[in-house]
Amino acid sequence: MPIVTPALALIILVAGIVSGGLGALLGLGGGIFLVPFLNLAMKFPIAAAAAISLTTVIATSSSVSAGRAGKQLINIKLGMLLEVATAAGSLLGAVTAQFLAPSTVQRLFGIATIAVAIVMLTRLQRRNVLDASTDAGVLGGRFHDDESGREVAYRVKRVPFALGASFVAGNLSSLLGIGGGFIKVPVLNAWCGVPMRAAAATSAFMIGVTATSGAVVYYGQGQLQPALAAVAVIGVQIGSWIGMRFGQRASVRWLKMLMAAVLLIISGLMFARAR
Amino acid sequence: MPAARLERLIGTVLRVGISTSSLCLACGVALFFMSGGPIASMLLQAGIIILLATPVARVVVSVAQYVSERDWTFTTLTAIVLVELLASVVAALLFHRKL
Repeated sequence: MPIVTPALALIILVAGIVSGGLGALLGLGGGIFLVPFLNLAMKFPIAAAAAISLTTVIATSSSVSAGRAGKQLINIKLGMLLEVATAAGSLLGAVTAQFLAPSTVQRLFGIATIAVAIVMLTRLQRRNVLDASTDAGVLGGRFHDDESGREVAYRVKRVPFALGASFVAGNLSSLLGIGGGFIKVPVLNAWCGVPMRAAAATSAFMIGVTATSGAVVYYGQGQLQPALAAVAVIGVQIGSWIGMRFGQRASVRWLKMLMAAVLLIISGLMFARAR
Repeated sequence: MPAARLERLIGTVLRVGISTSSLCLACGVALFFMSGGPIASMLLQAGIIILLATPVARVVVSVAQYVSERDWTFTTLTAIVLVELLASVVAALLFHRKL
């Protein structure tokens, strides 16, 4: 367990602000930035890094979703349905972690992030919005689209595929200490007919439950350093507040380009560490 | 509209949970670096437990809301999520005993 000093706390606070800001912009938990930082740069044991990261993921999910509630961007029914798969995956991931070599997991992680980045870059125009008069079905939704200034609707397609992706996302969440939004958001957007903003909001809503399954296990094992987790949580809160303000004005296309670039960087880091 | 009601309800649960835990964590950190001691660590532990409990509370509220709407499909789905969350608490306790 790392020794807590004011200097270390300050570094983690800043890392939390950066992760939280990027997380809010991209609809991710921010854990995908925090885990590599804590593990690679700060030399934390992977379990300690994952424990802190999962804690911040829960905080991001709660605060971002609390801020968005009432805007109808979060598809609660779809989120609840997919949570069945993601919580099961997360639970199983805690068990799987006991049997897989960390380097194997990191390579799988690297491959998955590249695949998702390619999908993001090749399907940049997937807005998926339909006329507001369309019947959205049981799982579909409607919301006010800031880009066109109109009320729009969407239907959810390929639900079994979304469930499968959510299961994998949950699995990676507890294995790696991340939320898993980096899998769900592109899958929901590119294949399941969900507009980018709704996909990001729904994913951010879900990752609180996903990360709780994993975080509880780390906490029970005494791998969570409370003071550092607290500093990281506060940092992420500040960052996500900044990110949400800025995110209102960012275009969907810009968000997707940024997301693809971020995925490629993380992939490279993971391969570098797997050797 | 029931869907909008659930969204407001969930928003309230999340807002209360995150503000309470953030307050505990912020005070805990401040005390931790000023003097340390049992109150600091108690505040930090409380903040983390409230943080972990917030998504669970959100699922509990959803189960209750779907029951009151008599939407049995979503009552079942949210109840399964709740069972999965409780299973991870059980798993944590089992791992804890093993180590």
